[in-house]
Amino acid sequence: MSRVIVVTSGKGGVGKTTTSASISAGLALKGFKVAVIDFDVGLRNLDLIMGCERRVVYDFVNVVQGEASLNQALIRDKRIKNLYILAASQTRDKDALTQEGVEKVIEDLKADGFDFIICDSPAGIEKGAQLALYFADEAIVVTNPEVSSVRDSDRILGILQAKSKRAESGDEGIVEHLVLTRYNPSRVESGEMLSVEDVVDLLNIPLLGVIPESEQVLNASNAGEPVILDTEADAAQAYTDVVDRFLGEEKAHRFLTAEKKGLFKKLFGK
Amino acid sequence: MSKVVDLKGSILSLTVLSLFSDQIDETKQAIAAKIDQAPDFFVGVPVVLAPQVALSDPTFLALLVEYLRQRQMIPIGVRTEDEGIKEQADYAGLAVFPVEKAKKSSKQSSEVQPETEQTGLKSALMVKGSVRSGQQIVAKDRDVIVMGSVNPGAEVVADGHVHVFGKVMGKVFAGAAGETSAKIFAKQLSPELVCIAGLYQLSEDIDPAYQKGFVEVSLQDNRLVFNTGLLG
Repeated sequence: MSRVIVVTSGKGGVGKTTTSASISAGLALKGFKVAVIDFDVGLRNLDLIMGCERRVVYDFVNVVQGEASLNQALIRDKRIKNLYILAASQTRDKDALTQEGVEKVIEDLKADGFDFIICDSPAGIEKGAQLALYFADEAIVVTNPEVSSVRDSDRILGILQAKSKRAESGDEGIVEHLVLTRYNPSRVESGEMLSVEDVVDLLNIPLLGVIPESEQVLNASNAGEPVILDTEADAAQAYTDVVDRFLGEEKAHRFLTAEKKGLFKKLFGK
Repeated sequence: MSKVVDLKGSILSLTVLSLFSDQIDETKQAIAAKIDQAPDFFVGVPVVLAPQVALSDPTFLALLVEYLRQRQMIPIGVRTEDEGIKEQADYAGLAVFPVEKAKKSSKQSSEVQPETEQTGLKSALMVKGSVRSGQQIVAKDRDVIVMGSVNPGAEVVADGHVHVFGKVMGKVFAGAAGETSAKIFAKQLSPELVCIAGLYQLSEDIDPAYQKGFVEVSLQDNRLVFNTGLLG
């Protein structure tokens, strides 16, 4: 059974694409066949973060509009077998996507035997975001520990409950998961950021994981590599935990408390 | 003395315009096509609008009335049972006519039943989870019970009481139609706004002491009164 997962947030810049890239890479590393689709038509980023921007010949819009076949457009990841990327178009806008076209692509991916189809949603609550979530079975809501991000996530959760295919058909609703990114425990302690408890309390959905704020995320993005592959990094370990929990494993949450800086570290920086 | 005015009931025959679409552009085009067939016939004709579908666009009636007047027809009313459409009609300055009663010999009892439900006891509107940002819950002529929280940016409106088993962080309106005995009950209240029968108070005007535990809000002498001692 294929599972269609939307990675969404409402607000922009919170880490949707980073999360999509790392979760899809993590799932593929576990041996699942994974496709990740960039729904952010016009502002494509996923191919950059996956490091395949120079290999995009056909994109998602070409497939939706029938100008290319799915197999032509799917880009196979060079590092991980079983991982395929469907890039967004940079030259079109979100009106180029149609519900029927998207449905066909998702159905074809299911028929191709993909275990997971990850839909990387654009920011906002307009057409692009609504199409990304419409066919989802599960949603990963990415939030930063910050009021406006949490508010927007709350809004997108309302839309998930109202405007998805599952909601409209009266089936069981979309399964919701929360991923809290850019978490900085020392700033939480000093009251500059919301705590995990605050966020979970408000959004009231199960927490899949907390990703610590880290330079390695930016470095990995610049290098075109999902951060989860940088196994030394905190963020990579946190994403690995997220993938394990997503697959049903019980794991204690990590990276929630500030690292005590010793005298040595205080003196010599990081 | 001769009569100046006289009120008398009279049965008139009117043109009824049935609407099967909630798309204003589509409707306008269809009307234009009809008028083009016999332009003179429609000039100065009073029409009653009979929507056969729910009109989700709140400006639909207003736009349609405007259009009909442009085409020199005189829209005078709406024939509907739908509360939403009645409200639109009110704004558009149209009279509301009752829908024709089904024939008495009708055997379609299954169709009649749902209507009788409305005349019976209306129990409270129940919301299972939280009301999220951007969502609005409206309980017409009844209470509302929210099992979760009312999150920031959400609105709960009831003509009766509002009960919230979680935190109120959004806006709540009780007695929205003017019922001054309506109350708000919440497990915790730190709202953007509370309002009973049109009288409202913003979060910053509410004493923080009332924003901690279970609280009842009621309207007394044109003032909102917060009572935290209800559960002892």
